[in-house]
Amino acid sequence: MRPSLKDKYMDDVVQFSQQNNEPKWFTKFRTDNLTSSSDLSLPTYEKINYRSWRLDRPSDFTATSSISDFKAAQSESYIIQTGDKTLDSRLEQSLADQGVILTDIFTAIKKYPELIQKYYMTKVVKSNENRLTAIHAAMMNGGIFLYIPTGVKVTDSIQATFIQDNHIKRDFNQHVLIVAEDNTELTYLENFISDGDAEENKANIVVEVVAGNDSHIHFSALDQMNAKTTSYLSRRGITGNNSRIDWAIGFMNDGDIIGDFGTDLIGEGSHTEAKVVAITTGDQVQGIDTKVTNYGRHTIGHILQHGVILESSTLTFNGVGHIVKGARGSDAQQESRVLMLSRKARGDANPILLIDENDVTAGHAASVGRVNAEQMYYLMSRGIDEKTAQRLVIRGFLSSVITEIPEEEVRDRLTQMIERKLINGQQ
Amino acid sequence: MSTLEVKDLHVSVTDEENGEGQEILKGVNLKMSTGEIHAIMGPNGTGKSTLSQAIMGNSKYKVTSGDILLDGESILDWPVDKRARAGLFLAMQYPAEIPGVTNIEFMRAAINARREKDDQIPVRQFIKKLDEKQAILDMTDEMSGRYLNEGFSGGEKKRNEILQLLMIEPSFAILDEIDSGLDIDALKVVSRGVNSMRGDNFGSLIITHYQRLLNYIVPDQVHIMMGGRIVQSGGPDLAKKLEDEGYAGIRDDLNLDVKLTDEI
Ligand SMILES: Nc1ncnc2c1ncn2[C@@H]1O[C@H](COP(=O)(O)OP(=O)(O)O)[C@@H](O)[C@H]1O
Ligand SMILES: [Mg+2]
Repeated sequence: MRPSLKDKYMDDVVQFSQQNNEPKWFTKFRTDNLTSSSDLSLPTYEKINYRSWRLDRPSDFTATSSISDFKAAQSESYIIQTGDKTLDSRLEQSLADQGVILTDIFTAIKKYPELIQKYYMTKVVKSNENRLTAIHAAMMNGGIFLYIPTGVKVTDSIQATFIQDNHIKRDFNQHVLIVAEDNTELTYLENFISDGDAEENKANIVVEVVAGNDSHIHFSALDQMNAKTTSYLSRRGITGNNSRIDWAIGFMNDGDIIGDFGTDLIGEGSHTEAKVVAITTGDQVQGIDTKVTNYGRHTIGHILQHGVILESSTLTFNGVGHIVKGARGSDAQQESRVLMLSRKARGDANPILLIDENDVTAGHAASVGRVNAEQMYYLMSRGIDEKTAQRLVIRGFLSSVITEIPEEEVRDRLTQMIERKLINGQQ
Repeated sequence: MSTLEVKDLHVSVTDEENGEGQEILKGVNLKMSTGEIHAIMGPNGTGKSTLSQAIMGNSKYKVTSGDILLDGESILDWPVDKRARAGLFLAMQYPAEIPGVTNIEFMRAAINARREKDDQIPVRQFIKKLDEKQAILDMTDEMSGRYLNEGFSGGEKKRNEILQLLMIEPSFAILDEIDSGLDIDALKVVSRGVNSMRGDNFGSLIITHYQRLLNYIVPDQVHIMMGGRIVQSGGPDLAKKLEDEGYAGIRDDLNLDVKLTDEI
């Protein structure tokens, strides 16, 4: 019999925690979760079968990243990490003066234990949700903490770049914790990107966003893990009263990946717009499960997912809208659309509405189709070749998310990523 | 000088509902050269758009016999984009809308498609040309910045087709009912645009239901199409005669057995 994770990794987890000089409570948090991981099951997602990926078999999470230099786009405030190490980081002085915190997660555990204890895997993505979250809790080996104190408005974006190292064998268990207190505003962009292709690795990433009362968070993500990386990426938020989280996610990975996205609309009158674009190529599988749960009254949850499938890849969009009993006056809408560019491609768009309250509005639209022939004809009738025309039509199809991204520079980067992935897939 | 020749062209469309092929063009002959403006007039449903789509290469329209020649070479096997790069342009009756792609971006891509990879049009040169052409058509930068035809009114779409024509500068432009839905002022503007293209290196086939457009863009030759064939050709006077007699009059003159859809 395969030894349990606990038997196999307990020493490593304890040692890793001690080497990091983590407080006792955090070491215990890790070991408790390692222990319970064997009893928890893998999360299940409609029509996404990933058991064979063996995401619950970690290899080496204790290794130190081999990358010491990386060029990343920078804004006024940013942080660049290669897994465990922070390569560079800067926080605009005026924000620091107002008490904004942008630091690596290990420092945060030591310096801000009350905040970490209160929020870290307790409210948004709970450590005991499933086997993968428990493994993440036990083996987290890098990440950041971003804190926006009450009343602070961050107008320029804060950008985080996380480089996943495939030069060496190393699990990538990055954690992002963002806490925005009441009456705050934040524009945040994160970019997960792989470097190197010597080794195959696993990633188990958890991103948590806490939006206080009357806060507004614009969250953009560009995900670019390469073909050597098999990933689980959980990126979720919870809302306070009258707060809002806008997600714009560009899912442009080249490897197999599960994206578990969504918002728990807890606070009354809160609102989320979850927009995802994805392109799958080669023989990869990208499974995306975006779930919005309306708990509070008069909450609004909208999901919009557009994806393109090339070659013999697979893309699945689940859109889950759940209105719980008591969430009167709430609204759950969703649209998932997939374009198939190849006969060998496989795609799915599954709308799932779970409505336990009467006084609500809800709706869904889903489709799996091919590139619009009339649009293609029109573009080609102006001399544009078939592949370029196809890319233009697709760009238009994906524009609903692209236009949501607040910064032009980031929009351009996403457009370039789309172009690159499409050109690869069209070969 | 370039030539465009349509020889005994037969074209069928497949009905989407019952899957049956239906012959629309029943032997069309037409020859034109750059430097000339030809007009095709005909009642609704007679196959004018079918002819223009078949020349451009729309795959919905199947050429069952006959030929289309550009400078003497058959283009029947050419894909749409190749025909366009060889000098053909079709201003469509119902242009597609493409969200997410701006007009400007689209026109640049169209111009660059005709140029070598290492000789793409410099941005400044492109903008200068765009400004010039927009001015001819009383158009603003605002329209060019919008997504391709998305939310454009009928008249704006027509104007936008002509803007593309002026930017791309093809050898032959087929204008399919470019006058429909335009008021007299818009009609003048669009005609000004087309007339600005006139010259030895440009030929146009103007498809219209009404004689009115031909007061502004005076053709060298007029062809009347009925029942999938060109039934009469002549000079600009023919359009005037048509105006006086109507399609039914011409049909009866020629003793044709054609049903006009507009007839009660
Ligand atoms: N895409 C199509 N599918 C089916 N029938 C078509 C299609 N296009 C044209 N037709 C038919 O062909 C005939 C000629 O149409 P069209 O060429 O549009 O005429 P015109 O432009 O002269 O009004 C009509 O009977 C029309 O219904
Ligand atoms: Mg027509």
